[in-house]
Amino acid sequence: MTISTSSFQLIAALVRRETAMVYDSGKEYLVEARLTPLATAAGCPDVDAYIARISTDLAERRKALDALTINETSWFRDQTPYQAFTETMLPRLIETRAATRRLRIWSAACSSGQEAYSIAMLLDQHLPPGWTADILATDVSTAMLERVRAGRYSQVEMNRGLPATTLVKYFTRAGTEWEVSPELRRMVRVQHLNLADAYAFTAIGTYDVVLLRNVLIYFDQATKYDILRRMRPHVAPDGYLLLGSSETTLDMPADVAGLWSREQLGRVQAHRPVAAVPVASPTPIGA
Amino acid sequence: MRAMIIDDSRAMRSILRRILAGLDFETLEAGNGREALDLFEAGQVPDLCLVDWNMPLMDGYTFITEVRANRDWRDVTLMMVTTESEQGQIVKALAAGAHEYVIKPFTPDAIVDKLELLGLVNREVLA
Amino acid sequence: MTAAPAITDVQAIVEQVWSSFLGEAEPLLPAPVAPGRAFPADDAWSAAVSISGGWDAAVTVELSTPLALSLTTTMLGLTADETAEGPLDADVADAVGELVNMIGGNIKSLMPGPSVLSLPAVAAGRAAHPSGAAEVARFDGVRAGQPVRVAVHVIPQP
Repeated sequence: MTISTSSFQLIAALVRRETAMVYDSGKEYLVEARLTPLATAAGCPDVDAYIARISTDLAERRKALDALTINETSWFRDQTPYQAFTETMLPRLIETRAATRRLRIWSAACSSGQEAYSIAMLLDQHLPPGWTADILATDVSTAMLERVRAGRYSQVEMNRGLPATTLVKYFTRAGTEWEVSPELRRMVRVQHLNLADAYAFTAIGTYDVVLLRNVLIYFDQATKYDILRRMRPHVAPDGYLLLGSSETTLDMPADVAGLWSREQLGRVQAHRPVAAVPVASPTPIGA
Repeated sequence: MRAMIIDDSRAMRSILRRILAGLDFETLEAGNGREALDLFEAGQVPDLCLVDWNMPLMDGYTFITEVRANRDWRDVTLMMVTTESEQGQIVKALAAGAHEYVIKPFTPDAIVDKLELLGLVNREVLA
Repeated sequence: MTAAPAITDVQAIVEQVWSSFLGEAEPLLPAPVAPGRAFPADDAWSAAVSISGGWDAAVTVELSTPLALSLTTTMLGLTADETAEGPLDADVADAVGELVNMIGGNIKSLMPGPSVLSLPAVAAGRAAHPSGAAEVARFDGVRAGQPVRVAVHVIPQP
């Protein structure tokens, strides 16, 4: 079963229009791998026929978009950001939030929820008694949000990066899957959100830590910068924005770069909001 | 780094051997716990053991208990790689001295993730 | 009422084992066979494990010979040279045995325990079932046109 060039272009354009994610040529295999099971389930003889069908079948289109916007994910992915969270960010925030004793975390491309629940586990272990945490998990895929809400993971997913001691502490078997404990599920709330939508952040609020990891790579340059621009007011003035390890080296245009300062926390780099600058700085005489 | 793969299936040993070779491990193999202990006693003590649970002659659980009973072998990292997937079995293996636990089936990434958790592999260096 | 795993759970386990070791390029698709109909391949390999303790059952896997050979080649990482004459029977028995071990172990974890999983028994040919064993769950699938069947049998206690 091979996807035709025209089908690939059609689906790539659709994904780009709806989610701003880019599927370059060369990613045909990925489209095929993700759509073949849907094509089979829908009774289509091949992926081309399925792609033709989703031009009119909106329910199938939703499913296809969901399947194509999945991020590969694992528990405590890359480890170092979580280490920086526990060792640096959390102690500082516990100091500065002593009055409210409340932390707000946003997992901004939560996929199936491993990032949000990994943070929930760390908060459960490290947050002092009497503190509360609100973890917002957002994603463009409604199917993914359902998964986060259910908090159920397959055996294969459980194997990815979750220490065995943590597994037995926070999960119980549920059929072939493992279910995250009710305590952790209560900490995480989900919301549908398309990062590329210019107005998506309007009512989202402000967060002490925003995790925007391994998702910018899917967007074109203009969208990437726009997200970083719009994100700024939603990170608390003394808060942290964490990008994926390959994304911190992004060359940003001056207006975006000026919004963020970078701070090295152990082995990860965090972006921190730069205090608002006066609108017009006077030009030094003689310059 | 030296790793010993202890599994009664040659196919499974081959899968694990290929994953570990990609991580620059030198590998030894044993078909059951008894064979692995014989290698230990002959001085072939690795840094890491990947241990199946259900095997003839000596199962992986007994093997782990035996290794943990010998102080000379306390530096060996033990990781179960088994189809035994009840929560109780994981707890039991950890209590007996296993450091990590991978449930079969697994993808190569799962092995790398766990070895990274154990500090035996560093993806950044590999990349 | 005999305790039996849900058919959807059996299917999920088989698919996970399959995609983990054989990749997703050639998916394993459900292909129901009418009850009572024979396994749709004359030339087959089969393997069984038994579960005993909290729940007593046998899990069998049957697969067509071409599928067993391709499974063996992939699991053992055999090169084109090494497979020119096809994998050895001992290798096929080993790979098919590990397949039933993984499927059986995961099915065991769905049921009341504690139970013990036996070592696999593998045979060239169709699976033999003890007389009186009742099939309580079955998954029939195809991969690249080749059939595979996973069945769970409960052995009635005397």
